[in-house]
Amino acid sequence: MRSIIETEGLCRAFGDHHAVDGLSLAVAPGEIFGLLGPNGAGKTTTIRMLSTLLPPSAGAALVCGFDVVTEAEAVRRRIGYVMQQVSPMGHYLLTGREKTEIEASLYHVPRRQVKARAREVLELVGLSDSADRLVAGYSGGMQKRLDLACGLLHRPDLLILDEPTLGLDVQSRHHMWEHIRSLCDEGMSVLLATNYMDEADRLCDRLAIIDRGRQVAGGTPAELKAAIGAPSLDEVFLRHTGHALREEVA
Amino acid sequence: MMVAQEVLALSRRWLLVALRERLSLLFSVLQPAVWLVFFAGALGGAVDPRVVGTGDYIAFAVPGVIAFTVVGNGVTAAMPLLFDKETGYLDKLLSMPIRRSSLILSRFLFQTGMNAAQTLVILLVALALGVRPESGPLGVPAILAVTALLTLALTSAAMALACAVPSHGTFFAITGFVSLPLLFMSNAFVPLSAMPAWMEAVARVNPLTYAIEAIRLLVLRGWSGDVPLSLAALVVACVLLLAVGAWQFARQTSERIA
Ligand SMILES: Nc1ncnc2c1ncn2[C@@H]1O[C@H](COP(=O)(O)OP(=O)(O)OP(=O)(O)O)[C@@H](O)[C@H]1O
Ligand SMILES: [Mg+2]
Repeated sequence: MRSIIETEGLCRAFGDHHAVDGLSLAVAPGEIFGLLGPNGAGKTTTIRMLSTLLPPSAGAALVCGFDVVTEAEAVRRRIGYVMQQVSPMGHYLLTGREKTEIEASLYHVPRRQVKARAREVLELVGLSDSADRLVAGYSGGMQKRLDLACGLLHRPDLLILDEPTLGLDVQSRHHMWEHIRSLCDEGMSVLLATNYMDEADRLCDRLAIIDRGRQVAGGTPAELKAAIGAPSLDEVFLRHTGHALREEVA
Repeated sequence: MMVAQEVLALSRRWLLVALRERLSLLFSVLQPAVWLVFFAGALGGAVDPRVVGTGDYIAFAVPGVIAFTVVGNGVTAAMPLLFDKETGYLDKLLSMPIRRSSLILSRFLFQTGMNAAQTLVILLVALALGVRPESGPLGVPAILAVTALLTLALTSAAMALACAVPSHGTFFAITGFVSLPLLFMSNAFVPLSAMPAWMEAVARVNPLTYAIEAIRLLVLRGWSGDVPLSLAALVVACVLLLAVGAWQFARQTSERIA
């Protein structure tokens, strides 16, 4: 497999609004690949297509070598998807450990290994001490870390993270970055959508800046900065996407 | 094997949440008993035995109270789907390598278990009030089987509605509006023969009527030859509602890939 993600002219329209408009990406195995773009640029929509949740309206995408439409099941077995919004509802009355064990079973972790695997991922994100508390009592950062843990249960080849550090304090963000880095060192590939330029700069091997569903720039953080002689990724981002606020209504 | 693991894991989620909501669990077990004791007890004195066909109005009302309970639980049955859809957790579930049908199946299993438990409580309370089902001890599993069929029908309908509505506000508006007419437009508390013609016509297409009829025969008449007839009508309703439920669920996930 040359690429862990490969898209060709990927499009998704909602009515006559083109949320993703001809995106061609290639992510190499073992890479942390960043997806940047203003609000409404189409990051989440792209991620939903790559996670087999939304059929593309045109174009194609291979994830882990499988087509997201015709081989969705094979893709699902190999990806861990961590959503943008945390979803404590429905888990309010479960403990972190219970939620994790239930999701491990849903990922078909062999029955005998479910408890051990849950313990392992909770340990990894530093939730061992709170594992038996109800999720209702978790802080926002703890819930984010719980979601990350749940994305790792089946040891996916590719981790898809939609704004994993949204709303986290400085300590938690640094911890999250360390987790992601160490996962990558163990051979996992990561697709990361983010609005934080420092995060992208620090963490991503390569990135794509998208705007209105199209890629407007791409490369390593250093390349992108060097290309326009900008000191920071913020500058690069603004140069490519402009200063105007995005109208959410298309 | 994998399906079993998925269904068990999801059922564990439903069960843990239900057990943690102790007060809600307590009320849902107590409520039918309250209906039987107060409602049927009070109405019993005002009802003409010639109209209901028995001097024991409580025995007559037992199937109605069971149906009432199943209707109420049907609404609760669809709530996780409704909220998973709204909070986005449904997306997370659908990104997992699980069968779509496991989501629905686990809910059916869980709800059938809950309804069976409540039906047993109702039958025990009825027993304490002097009701002795004519069909004997074997009538109990038969009554539970009818309850399971009705559960399947109503859970399908509620799930279909949960998929179709834009948000939980509409869901509760519709279920709140429909629940009571559904009950009173059936033979739950009044026999069909005592209804105005138009109401009888409505009651005859109401699946509740057939579940109630089957249970009522088992309680009041024993193993009557009419039980299979009512059951057949109930099965038809089940199949239809299940088809609507499956169609709506597929539509809900059609934005997604199957
Ligand atoms: N289900 C949907 N129906 C209609 N329009 C949608 C739907 N999902 C997304 N959109 C639209 O598609 C565009 C892209 O949205 P998307 O959520 O992918 O943006 P994003 O890059 O993730 O933004 P953010 O940084 O705010 O998370 C937006 O204009 C949004 O309104
Ligand atoms: Mg987004």
